[in-house]
Amino acid sequence: MKNNQVYLYDGSFLGILNLINKLLTVQIKPFNICNKNIYQPSLIDEIIDLEQDDDFKIKDLNVSKEILKTIYYVYLSNNEHKELIIYYFLLNAQKYKNKIFYMRNLKCVNHALKIAKYVSNENHKLKGFVRFKEIKNHVLYASISPTNDVLELLSLHFMSRLKNEYWIIKDIGRNKYSIYDTKKYYIVSGENMNLKEVEIDEEEKTIENLWLTFFRTIGIEGRKNKKCQMNFMPKKYWKYIIEMEDAYEKGNNG
Amino acid sequence: MTLEEKLRILADGAKYDASCSSSGSTRTNSGGIGNAAYSGICHSFASDGRCISLLKILMTNCCIFDCKYCINRKSNHIKRAIFTPDEICTTTMNFYRRNYIEGLFLSSGIIKSADYTMELLIKTIKLLRYKYHFHGYIHCKAIPGASDYLLKELGGLVDRLSANIELPTEKGLKLLAPNKNSNKVTKIMSYVKENRSESYAPAGQSTQMIIGATKETDLDIMNKSEKLYKSYDLKRVFYSAYIPVNKDKLLPTLESPPLARENRLYQADWLLRFYGFKVNDLLDERNPNFNILIDPKANWALRHLDEFPKEINSASYYDLLKVPGIGIKSAKRIIACRKNFKITFEDLKKMGIVIKRAKYFITCNHKYFINSTYFQKGFIEANLILEDNIKENKKKEQLSLFP
Ligand code: SF4
Repeated sequence: MKNNQVYLYDGSFLGILNLINKLLTVQIKPFNICNKNIYQPSLIDEIIDLEQDDDFKIKDLNVSKEILKTIYYVYLSNNEHKELIIYYFLLNAQKYKNKIFYMRNLKCVNHALKIAKYVSNENHKLKGFVRFKEIKNHVLYASISPTNDVLELLSLHFMSRLKNEYWIIKDIGRNKYSIYDTKKYYIVSGENMNLKEVEIDEEEKTIENLWLTFFRTIGIEGRKNKKCQMNFMPKKYWKYIIEMEDAYEKGNNG
Repeated sequence: MTLEEKLRILADGAKYDASCSSSGSTRTNSGGIGNAAYSGICHSFASDGRCISLLKILMTNCCIFDCKYCINRKSNHIKRAIFTPDEICTTTMNFYRRNYIEGLFLSSGIIKSADYTMELLIKTIKLLRYKYHFHGYIHCKAIPGASDYLLKELGGLVDRLSANIELPTEKGLKLLAPNKNSNKVTKIMSYVKENRSESYAPAGQSTQMIIGATKETDLDIMNKSEKLYKSYDLKRVFYSAYIPVNKDKLLPTLESPPLARENRLYQADWLLRFYGFKVNDLLDERNPNFNILIDPKANWALRHLDEFPKEINSASYYDLLKVPGIGIKSAKRIIACRKNFKITFEDLKKMGIVIKRAKYFITCNHKYFINSTYFQKGFIEANLILEDNIKENKKKEQLSLFP
């Protein structure tokens, strides 16, 4: 491996698998792999933009569902080296197959599994923390700002739970929306959307207030434990959890 | 009375029930709203650190009984309220659609009679399932003394149907809840156990005991739990530190609820259900209460030090589980990994296994983590207690890991 060869891919999951599949077949160890949409050119890098293999199918990788799921979760993470981590995970997966999940003594395997777990944990937490507001025409609207890119995973969850509802979830940080029309959800970039600030009406306020009343009542004074509350519900999520909004704005523990 | 005021009164009356879980059901969304998540989802955490997953309310806080420990008892002069079935349904739906909650937890004080109260509960839940097409999680409390045909109907509508045993002994119950007897409660438990199926209380049943309102020892409590698990196939026994809400000469005066004790009971309960321990391993007539300073498993290990240290690369699954600090996941991971390589202390850390406590009780490739002359009770005990006290705050957090 030359110490400056950077391989670019189009940013998609299929794109990175396509590239890594190629690298594995020709046995090239990349110095780095970068998403071409966010890649910052540097003078010493030698950029290699391999041509996409148009016929590539995921099954060409010849890995199990579990392995695929793991690398998909890593792909969704905010780790800046995720592409290389996926590469090394797949490199080892060729050798160890499903045994790879127990090769915890290998640093790159361990790393990948930890990241995948981290993403899956955030997804699970947000399944609970997402807060919808009803806007016009009974559409439900929620904002999130997750560390990892879990919008798609969340959409799958709400697709079965709120099957007959129209809903929109916005990832504020990544400026993209998931829009569900009772049949399918569509992930749309914010640049292509012209959504005005969401406004909620009096009736919605009433329901939010009911929830706040419940929330404040259900805690037992004699067992007060703010630290524990904060531990389970990290501050970074407070902004979009209506019962924590006040605490968020005051910038204290509530 | 406004809906908001009712909600305040009826959530306040329900909040002492420790049960919060929403797991164990796989109800799917068949053309309406909602489904159940098998592993359960927490939607929020209250100011006391407890998970909020269900809209936990009473249908009414009116009650014909006078249980001494209960805020809703007849003799208390408090504001009383009753929800109409529609109010419960719309509130549940409104909260559920906005993803505030995972479902409904409905309990009630007893009005007129057990059967009459049950009928109202059934009417409400039927409405929620059939008119509002709600397929989310529902946990309903059965009213002790209700007739079988009502238990039958209610169980077919909900994910979990349960009744609280409240106190570990009949004596305690007689003293504080003279209108109740444990037979009425265990009758419900047997009924649910016998009828449980995919369409009848699929998430099973749980119960609750109040800790510290009567004189029973931890041994009494754990013996009761062991018996309940065995006889009725319960999913969970919840332990609820007694919180003084009433003044009564029959009730103890406590400065603060016995939270540390409650925590020890949860830990021991865990050991009974998943770690192969028996009550007799942990407590006996001479030591009928848990050590507040050391958790039950470490306490057991210190008293059985001759069985340690366990070698990580060869100990059986159940032997690994006996090691303080090693849980089910860790034990399974160790067994799967050691087939592929010899595990060292370093590897354990990499594998995400916390060895802070475990290290005193194990060897890796026959090496102890420090000079093996340190492997003695006094040294280990002192260190465990020290670490726990430094981590005092961490421990508080663990408290609510369990309910
Ligand atoms: S029956 Fe239930 S609600 Fe009524 S006083 Fe006893 S514990 Fe309270």
